[in-house]
Parts: sequence; structure tokens; C-alpha cells
Amino acid sequence: MALRGLTWLVLFQLLGTAVNHLFLTILPGPIIGLLLLLCYLMWLGEVSAPLSEAAGSLLRYLPLLLVPPAVGVMAYSAEISKDFWAIGGSLLVSVLLSLAFAGWLMQRLIRRRARNEARP
Amino acid sequence: MSLDWQGAINSVIHHPLFGIGLTLGVYQMVLAGYEKTRWIFLQPVLVSMLVLIGVLVSCGIGYGEYRKSTEILGTLLGPATVALAVPLFLNLRRIRQLFWPTLTTLVFGGVLATASCLLIGWLLGADQMILMTLAPKSVTSPIAMLVAEQIGGVAPLAAVFVLITGVIGAIFGPGLLSMLKVESPAARGMALGLSAHAVGTSVALQEGEECGAFAALAMSLMGVSTAVLLPLAVSLFV
Repeated sequence: MALRGLTWLVLFQLLGTAVNHLFLTILPGPIIGLLLLLCYLMWLGEVSAPLSEAAGSLLRYLPLLLVPPAVGVMAYSAEISKDFWAIGGSLLVSVLLSLAFAGWLMQRLIRRRARNEARP
Repeated sequence: MSLDWQGAINSVIHHPLFGIGLTLGVYQMVLAGYEKTRWIFLQPVLVSMLVLIGVLVSCGIGYGEYRKSTEILGTLLGPATVALAVPLFLNLRRIRQLFWPTLTTLVFGGVLATASCLLIGWLLGADQMILMTLAPKSVTSPIAMLVAEQIGGVAPLAAVFVLITGVIGAIFGPGLLSMLKVESPAARGMALGLSAHAVGTSVALQEGEECGAFAALAMSLMGVSTAVLLPLAVSLFV
């Protein structure tokens, strides 16, 4: 049942929050939780059905969960309109640039590796 | 006998469930429209955001009240982030295979994403506070908010820049990558997760599991390295 998987996810998030509070204030709880769960799965060697079901359904709604923080734009309309061109321009250009570059570089490196492996 | 229409409308609008109901309804409508047309500018997060802002402003509801009534969705974002460990784990073998390409792309792509944004923002005349808020825009909002605060930016505004970044990446990313003939799912995922964090990852997950796994990997690596290195870099240069 997906409920059991959800419980695991919440448990690891809470664990992450505790670690965040105790030692690692620089990383947020959910990211520490992600790393802890990954370590746990590696140690276990498999993903249980409830966990994969819960993770799958949560991740399907990831865009929905991102909508409320996006609406936060309305609270900062004054600051954004003041520096509109600098903000819009730098965000747009840098995202497109890094997207294109990262995709291109990664693909090249993967191809080169494949070629090296093909050669005995 | 006259019915108190105004009062009824007011009690509906200010009901604690109104924000959630509105968000769910708008999101599903937008998603249906997007699936029907597949038009990239109908990117669900962006259009839902615009429609919701329109409705909230016309109803006279402030962001604070909306935020409060949608708190449960924000709370679920935590477990959803943790859940990214599952696709990561399922593709671990492939990730191990591509360890060096991934690391190289992370270093160069990550530096380019942050440096180009700062440079262009500076050239276009953004002030120091805005620049420091722009710097962590390629990582998930919880990390970005922490880092922005640390280096002298504004945390909630950082979350907004993060979202704008993600939406731009989601709209243009897949098309741009196809145009550049980047076909390998690992490379596409890496690019989307590295530059457009969670929103990019949600797009990558739709493309396939391997693509989503690399996006989740890129997002977490970018998040961790930005959290550790950006404050350090800023304290050295500024």
C-alpha cells in the first residue's frame, strides 16, 4: 500500500530535518533525507513496492506542488519590475546557455566514452 | 426576503480550503489544456501561476492568505524531494557508468549557470542585493533561499527567481536540446536538472525514467555543491 511508502518518505524527511538541525545547517532537511534514503536503498539493494508506488505518485504531482511557491511572484512585483530587464535578461540567457552547454558537453563525453569502450 | 449573496461569497473566498480547491482546479484545467495542445507556452506551472494570480487579485486575496491555505502542498514538497532517491537508485548502475561525464558536466555547467547569470545581471545594472539573490537561481528553492540569505540576498525573492528559472528551462529546454541534437536521455536529464532544478526534473521525468534519474542527480549535486561552494566563492570575491 502506498501509505506505507509515504510513511517511509516522511520518516526520512524528518530524519533529514534532525540531521540538518544537529550538524549540517547548510543543507536543507529534504535534500539530506534524499541522500539518506539513497544510502538506505543502496544498503538494502532494492526498492520495496509500497515505496516505489508512493514515490511514483508523489513525483507525478511534483509540478502541482511547485505552483503555490510560484504564485509568490505576486508578492514581489515592485522589486521585480524595478530591475525587470536585468532580472529577466540574466535569468533567460543564463538558463538557455547552461542548458545548451550542459546537454552538449554531457552528450559529447558519453559518445567519447562509448567510442573508447568499443575500441578494445 | 433577500439572500446575503455578498456574505456567502466572502465566506467561500476566505474559507481555508479555498486556496487549495482553486489550485487543484486550475492545475487540472491547465494540465488538460496542455495535454490537448502540447503547446510549450502552456507550461503547466507557468499558466497555473498566471491564472491563480489573476483570480487572487480579482478576489482581493493577498499572497499571505493564499500561502497559508495551500500550506499542505508546500509540506508535501519535502517528501517529494526525498522520493527522488527512488529513480536515482533505480538508475544507479547507469549513473556509475557515466560517473566522469556527470562530474565534468556538473563542474563546468554549474559554474557557467551561476557565472553567466551574475555577469549579465551586472552588465544590465542590477544592484548588489538583486545579484546576490540571483546567484543561487539554478538550485531547488529551499537551498536557494538559505544560500541567498547567507550571501546577502532576499530569501523569498530567491525562491521566485528559482521558479522563473525553472519555468524558462521547462518551456525552452526540451526544444533547445532537440535542436542541438542532444538525444541521449542521460545528457538531456543532466542539462534539465542542472539548470532548471525541480521544474526541469519534472519535465525530465515525463521524458522517461533514465532522463528523470539524471535530472534528479544533477539537481541534488548542483544543490549540494552550490550550498557549499557559493558562499565560499562570494566571501572570496566580494
